[in-house]
Amino acid sequence: MNLSPFRMTLLGLSLLIPAALCAVVLFLLIYSGQAIGFNGLHFVTDINWNLGDLYDDPVTVKGIQIPSGANYGILVFIVGTLLSSFIAIIIAVPLSVGAAIFLAEAVPPRIRPVLSMLVELVAVVPSVVFGLWGIAVLIPFIGHYIAPTGNGYGLLAASIVLALMITPIIATTLLDALMQVPKENRESAFALGATHFEVVSKAMMPMVRTTLVGGIVLALGRALGETMAVLMVSGGGINILPTSLFSPISTIASFIVAQLDSAESDPTNMAVRSLAEIALVLFIITLAVNAGAKILSSGALHVRKRQH
Amino acid sequence: MKISAKLRRSGVAALAVAAVIGTAGIAHAATTLVETGSSLLYPLFNIWVPDFSAANPGIQLTTTSTGSGAGIAQAAKGLVQIGASDAYVSDSLEKKNPTLLSIPLAISSQAINYNLPGLNDKNIKLSGPVLAAIYMGKITMWNDPKIKAMNPGVDLPDHVIIPVHRLDGSGDTFIFTQYLSASTPAWAKTLKYGTAVSWPAITGEIGAKGNTGMLSAAAANPYSVAYIGVSYANQVAKDGLGVAMLKNKAGKFVLPDADTVGAAANSVVTDTPPDERISMIFADGDNAYPIANYEYAVVNSQQPDATTAGAIRTFLSWAITSGNSMQYLSKVHFLPLPDAIKILSQTQIAKIQ
Amino acid sequence: MSASVSIKAAKPARSAQEVRRIIGSNIGWVACGFALLCVIGPLVDIVAVIAIHGLSAFSGKLFTTVTNGTGGGLLNAIEGTAVLSLGAMIIAVPIGVGAGIYLSEYGQNRLGSTIRFLSDVLTGTPSIVLGYFSYIVFIISLGWGFSVLAGAITLAILIVPYLARITELALRQVPTSMREAGFALGATEPTVVFKIILPGAASGVVTGALLALAISVGETAPLIYTAGWSNYTWDGKLTHAPIGYLTYVIWSFIDQPFAESHALAFAAAFLVMLVVLAINVGVRLVVKRA
Repeated sequence: MNLSPFRMTLLGLSLLIPAALCAVVLFLLIYSGQAIGFNGLHFVTDINWNLGDLYDDPVTVKGIQIPSGANYGILVFIVGTLLSSFIAIIIAVPLSVGAAIFLAEAVPPRIRPVLSMLVELVAVVPSVVFGLWGIAVLIPFIGHYIAPTGNGYGLLAASIVLALMITPIIATTLLDALMQVPKENRESAFALGATHFEVVSKAMMPMVRTTLVGGIVLALGRALGETMAVLMVSGGGINILPTSLFSPISTIASFIVAQLDSAESDPTNMAVRSLAEIALVLFIITLAVNAGAKILSSGALHVRKRQH
Repeated sequence: MKISAKLRRSGVAALAVAAVIGTAGIAHAATTLVETGSSLLYPLFNIWVPDFSAANPGIQLTTTSTGSGAGIAQAAKGLVQIGASDAYVSDSLEKKNPTLLSIPLAISSQAINYNLPGLNDKNIKLSGPVLAAIYMGKITMWNDPKIKAMNPGVDLPDHVIIPVHRLDGSGDTFIFTQYLSASTPAWAKTLKYGTAVSWPAITGEIGAKGNTGMLSAAAANPYSVAYIGVSYANQVAKDGLGVAMLKNKAGKFVLPDADTVGAAANSVVTDTPPDERISMIFADGDNAYPIANYEYAVVNSQQPDATTAGAIRTFLSWAITSGNSMQYLSKVHFLPLPDAIKILSQTQIAKIQ
Repeated sequence: MSASVSIKAAKPARSAQEVRRIIGSNIGWVACGFALLCVIGPLVDIVAVIAIHGLSAFSGKLFTTVTNGTGGGLLNAIEGTAVLSLGAMIIAVPIGVGAGIYLSEYGQNRLGSTIRFLSDVLTGTPSIVLGYFSYIVFIISLGWGFSVLAGAITLAILIVPYLARITELALRQVPTSMREAGFALGATEPTVVFKIILPGAASGVVTGALLALAISVGETAPLIYTAGWSNYTWDGKLTHAPIGYLTYVIWSFIDQPFAESHALAFAAAFLVMLVVLAINVGVRLVVKRA
């Protein structure tokens, strides 16, 4: 292995990223240790989340001090996180791909920088602003035209907001990649008699597949971790599993924000430890999702190789 | 090479400019005070800041809103000088931090608002047990016999109730659930009270963020009921929501206004202990409004240095004297402290060293 | 041969399959255009909503006074956002771009895969978790109190995986031939990277940097617990002094019962977008000219 100082510096810088991740995970593990032991497996299967009586004397259960009546179950939030991110991706990917294709091929080169900057501007909108817009515009819209009960808060609103937030991540990276596709690929496809759209969809898109998957993984990461906007439009579901697109949900990230302040008034500290445990569960989910994406994308590459 | 160099240079330049602006902004040795905590008390602190700063240029007061729990926790850790809280420091927290003082600054209250088409201008009557049943899912329809019995002659609609609650930790939830606990044994046994409670699962219920969120959710959903802090009374009126009359401990139905909230405050004046940790929820008295509370400043009586302690004392004294005048309080519909309480607060303030 | 015949003859009738393909393609374009509309439409709506609601707060005073109680200006918040985001970029750009270079040039092995994987996992961290981590580690354990340094570090951790990934993707699009040409001319590794590959991928790397900047400017949750908030301009201290930032105004002032606070919140939202738009435009011009 080439051990030049240049490569070593780069490697050192790169290793800082996993180091930061490990520091955070280690912190969460140490901090939530007691909670993990106390909560056991029913943490992820229990629907009921109860901080207990924070103003009364703590009781001792299983040798650990907890507020009386406390019970920590997060199934609701796991389901909320997975559903909202999944639906957000389903909405965002076609939108991003379509937008990127249109920008790369159908828009006159002079307008392209302006429009692509508009797409990037969507990424600039702060999360809280998406939440405000959601409450002011999106939720009444869903309530009036889409929801059967007239209530716009819930899973659909959260998913749409998430989708809008993550679309620029996929779209801009994809756009850049499409612009970099060598001219020869386009021209040879045209020469074969393909329509313009077919040139893009059949000749150019396959070449940017890794970039697309990379963008989707980044976007999914952001969707899983998004807090503020979801907090404002999700309807704050607690103790109830979502049954439809219009049920209130809570995602793990938004729930942590919502509960953190109350958890700090827990004299036994069990509440914050359980919140740290929830964060750990989210890490595991993100790990699983990323691993899944990796397997899928390497599987796709294998298929392509065999066809050639 | 050129690009990254240019970017690097402009980035460093920008940071240098920012630093210069920053240091130019502060050419004085002012004492900085940071307050954080209750979002209920936050608007009042903000109203106080301009006039207090003008009267005391040597003290720079920063106000933040993070929630009562964070307010107490950060005051205890010394991260902030003043923690604002809708709840006094609980016994168990007091045991862990015996130097924390709970100093009332003003009196706030909470309204139960609802959105019933056609009935928003008639103050329908509700009670603690009825509200508890609604938020537990035991009463689901507006024309339930229990609600009808309380409102003879009112044409209550045959429609599902949509209960709205706070999803974030909140002093409003705290005093609302205290009211439910004090008036309904079933609630007190299972759900108790707190800045966040384990709301039972009810189809159609909504969790909203902040009082603004409660207001938006109630306004957007007919047949909803929500608990909203009284500082929002103007917005509530503007959005055309109804204000409910609540049944107090004496069995009378009252609206939240200066008389009824004042009556609640006065009823606990003689019972208030020197550490001022007392609740006036569900207070005695024919005219007492059942959801009223002291807004507390939680301060560590042991401060790192005398200047900070002095600055805190100056501010708190100002708050309970000049700050307690109606020109400030009326903007948030709070009430001033009774004189006897002001004396108790002043005694506690003197303890800050 | 049919070729010479077709030159003289009129355009041959399209086969059914061809017609299907053409219709399909046209539908495809319409769908893509619609997609673009769906992405940009809400943005226009958001900007309009923000601008209208924030209108009453707009005046020269906005940029010259600090937040004072329920209203005032945004000087402290603007300065704070600038300081925090710049600080975050100063920390994150070398690490992120360096990692991106490593992963694209030398990272096609197990170590590279692992780093890439863990970096992606880091993007899934909720910002509040990073904020709480920094709160316990820097603010409390290390005793920094609310501080600029903690805020900048937290933001940097948040944005560095995006920088790394997008830099890597951009560098991978640069054709291998350019690298080989550089090495063939006898250039050293650093020269090839900095003078040939990076400039070739400049637009992609800049896109990544701008995205990272945008994310950092729009973040609230991590800063609430690390930078705190201050009603006053920054006093230059990296630790033991809280600082203001625009997103805090949006988050907290919208929840106050005063119209002027709401207007200030929307004005802050508008400014956030304006500031990053300006940086976006400015940097793109720099890159184009270079």
